[in-house]
Amino acid sequence: MAKRTPLQLSAMLGRVLVGLMLASCAGAPMMFKEASSPAMVAPEPPPPPPAPALASSMSGLSFSDSALLAGRVGAELAQLTPGRRPSPAPPHGGAVPGKPAAAPETAVEAPATTQAPAPRRESLLIYTATLVLAVYQVDASLTHIEELARTLGGYLASRTDAAIVVRIPRARFQEALAEVAKVGDVLHREVEAQDVSDQVVDLEARLKNARAVRDRLAQLLQGATATKDALEIEKELARVMGDIEVMEGKLQLFADKIAYSTVTVRFQPLSTSDVHVMARLPFPWLQELGLGPLLQVK
Amino acid sequence: MMKALWLTPLALLALAGCGRPFDIKTPPGMIELEHQTGYAYRAMTPDGVVLAVRAVDSGKADLAFWTQAVALHMKELSGYALLTTTDVTSADGVAGKELRFGHDESGKPYGYVVRVFVADKHLFVVEAGGTKDEVDRARATVDWAMGSLRLR
Repeated sequence: MAKRTPLQLSAMLGRVLVGLMLASCAGAPMMFKEASSPAMVAPEPPPPPPAPALASSMSGLSFSDSALLAGRVGAELAQLTPGRRPSPAPPHGGAVPGKPAAAPETAVEAPATTQAPAPRRESLLIYTATLVLAVYQVDASLTHIEELARTLGGYLASRTDAAIVVRIPRARFQEALAEVAKVGDVLHREVEAQDVSDQVVDLEARLKNARAVRDRLAQLLQGATATKDALEIEKELARVMGDIEVMEGKLQLFADKIAYSTVTVRFQPLSTSDVHVMARLPFPWLQELGLGPLLQVK
Repeated sequence: MMKALWLTPLALLALAGCGRPFDIKTPPGMIELEHQTGYAYRAMTPDGVVLAVRAVDSGKADLAFWTQAVALHMKELSGYALLTTTDVTSADGVAGKELRFGHDESGKPYGYVVRVFVADKHLFVVEAGGTKDEVDRARATVDWAMGSLRLR
């Protein structure tokens, strides 16, 4: 790579910094515009190896685990692994609803393919359920639920004396709920599906931009001659690497939450405040039903 | 006037001897407890399974109402697990419901059985309970006693 003068380097670094500032905002499309400028889409050699001080953190970037966990989401994440050649982002964002995330490279080289109707991206949902069971044979029931989770391909997340949290593969979520309901008498049940499609798409786009910036900074660093410039670029590179790690962590968390539904089972009677609009029948004997009065023999 | 004076002790005797609007047989292996407040009848096994009967005014409500009232009260307010609901009949053929509950007390499982009958403006609530193991062991005895209930 040809050596650049400090002035050229400063100008390029300035452009990259502007891009970074834009990438950190929600207005990702602006960043895509910057990334898709001629200088960025021109054929480039594979990214140079990072500076030794940063090599370890860069090599640690992999979504292989989450890809396994999250199925389709993981596949999309895997496309963003740094092992692949960094590709320029499409003009209007890389992963938008209705457009597969794999489009960017072909979008630049063969615009015709981008006009074909793309399969609609399905919603990314995080399923959670909370069941309150009547307090009866709690230990045995907790153990049973733990075994049930393993049988269904899930795992134990946490367990206390009166509650258990298990993670169940998304595909077997309903089956798990039906099985847990058989364990005891369900007093209360809450099932929630949280759509995180927008958040995932946004994160993916920002991550892609950040990686492009990282690669650009690495190139600049290689071409830097002045120590001051190199230090400045390295500092900025470290910051971008940090951002990338945070975003990757968030994506992994999303992938895990989507792939594995969370089922919480608590064994406890509902408190009076939980019993909405339930008036008590005005019969004193009814209040005296139960084991307490019955077993208090005088 | 004299007639009234004669009738009053007779009525009192009738109330004292046959004051319960039901009959129940205390099974072998249980002892009837006397002077029990809140219950018209109470008996227990040596290992602590207690059987009791309440008889209260049923008002204008039927068996379905009271069955649901008892089930909801035990589930929603007391946190008992409703295990089964079955149809039963008293010894004299009155239809009723049996609700079997489970509940942990201090981490130990307990069993609690309630039978509900409505007859002659009375609501009859027959209860039995104890630790799960003891209730399971005494089940035949408790079922026999509950099955001997006659409502009149």
